[in-house]
Amino acid sequence: MTLLPYAHALVAREDLPIPAWLFAWGASIVLIASFFALSVAWREPRFEDDRRRPLGGGLSKVLLELPTQILCGAIGVFLLGVAVYAGLRGTEAPDRNFAITFLFVTVWLGFPVLGAFLGDVFRPFNPWRAVGRVAGATFSAIAGQRPRHLPYPEALGRWPAAVGLIAFVWLEIVYGPSGGIAVALSPDDAAVAALVYSGYTLAMMALFGVEKWCERGEVFSVYFGMFGSLGCFEAREGRLGLRRPLAAAARWATLPASAAVVVASIGTTVFDGAREGPLEGPTGTVGDWLVDAGLGEIAAARIVDTAFMLLCVAAIWLVYEIGVRGMATVRGAPPLGRLRRGFAHTLIPIALAYLIAHYFSLFIFQEQAQFTYLLSDPLGTATTDLFGTASGGIDYGVLSANTIWYVQVGALVVGHVIGLVLAHDRATAFWGDYRQAARSQYWMLAVMVAFTCLGLYLLSVANS
Amino acid sequence: MATLLPLAHVSHYLWVLYVPPVLIVVGSIVWNMRSERRRRD
Repeated sequence: MTLLPYAHALVAREDLPIPAWLFAWGASIVLIASFFALSVAWREPRFEDDRRRPLGGGLSKVLLELPTQILCGAIGVFLLGVAVYAGLRGTEAPDRNFAITFLFVTVWLGFPVLGAFLGDVFRPFNPWRAVGRVAGATFSAIAGQRPRHLPYPEALGRWPAAVGLIAFVWLEIVYGPSGGIAVALSPDDAAVAALVYSGYTLAMMALFGVEKWCERGEVFSVYFGMFGSLGCFEAREGRLGLRRPLAAAARWATLPASAAVVVASIGTTVFDGAREGPLEGPTGTVGDWLVDAGLGEIAAARIVDTAFMLLCVAAIWLVYEIGVRGMATVRGAPPLGRLRRGFAHTLIPIALAYLIAHYFSLFIFQEQAQFTYLLSDPLGTATTDLFGTASGGIDYGVLSANTIWYVQVGALVVGHVIGLVLAHDRATAFWGDYRQAARSQYWMLAVMVAFTCLGLYLLSVANS
Repeated sequence: MATLLPLAHVSHYLWVLYVPPVLIVVGSIVWNMRSERRRRD
């Protein structure tokens, strides 16, 4: 059986020109230099207006016409159906079954990266939105009126999405027993979870409306939409438009609990990295205590991993909260709640950086499997060869360990510098006076340096 | 006889090397805040 590689522990790094920890010092110097450059040169907010301009009518028409929407929705539903079918009927070996790699690697990691450049690409392909819209249209045609929905409790904001995000990652890295496989969840469990989630999502859409739920509660819409807010294309009022990159992120976090979604994203990725490194000892020790207390080994491992995952999320929240409270001490600061929500979008590039840094090699290796044997033999039963690529495999030599390390460092540095830029821009909007704005950003600089050093430390431990 | 340093578990303490950049930035902030407060008083 071919085992999936760990996210970043495939082979030991070759000799680097300087020790790994010096990269953290170098990255911190880059951040500090960026901070001073921004303080001097960036005096007006530039991302408060996304300066969207509509693209040519022909292109808009082709991409946003109803037939295209139906086609994209149908593709989404079809692929979800294939994944569920493969999960239920295919092999139980996670690395040979289409469902696991497709759901947890191709979709989960592919859409954030694609969205960061292009915009919210997931939206047209969202299978639940497609089904919900068809159901709503059918209801309207039969009943002669649009379906009535309950008013969404606005105070709830994006909490359902934040909780759902943690639950999804929990399913992937805590519920699935490990044992050397990156995503070791059984395909059958993944398929059942997808069916349960589909039922839940469609019920919520029926209650609160399709678009309302997609914007607030549907985990994948919110999560991929968050990264999509960094991208430059946007469909609005029936027309495709080109907007200033990163600018839409500034208005993404206006709903309550948006910060919780970003923090959950970073916290869960941190846990996934730390459990192979610094948390390996503590989780093992606490797990042993629970086993000694009479719990089964699997139950103990799950309880401990769940607790530590939530602790990681709480730790990331604490760092952000320190930054926010620090900013609140600067003269002329807006109320704490406004600050907390107003700077949440500055963590989006960091969440993306952590995602790329942590899963880059996994993505590159697993996509080779996705587009060779998993595509031709989705059930993994060695009985089909749909595209003649069933005998294909993964070439682990396509990336050297050092290349992976440099991509990881690059992603972390660029992500944090972008976070710093977004934070400085928001500060100039909140404080007006650029000197006070720069003063407030000492705190966000500390947050960024802390996240960068943490990220590099986790990668260095996992790679060694 | 050469004396060997007990470095078998040194990798467990490598995290210490990642902390100074954070401490330098946080320290600078605190120092800056205190000096500003003193100037205002």
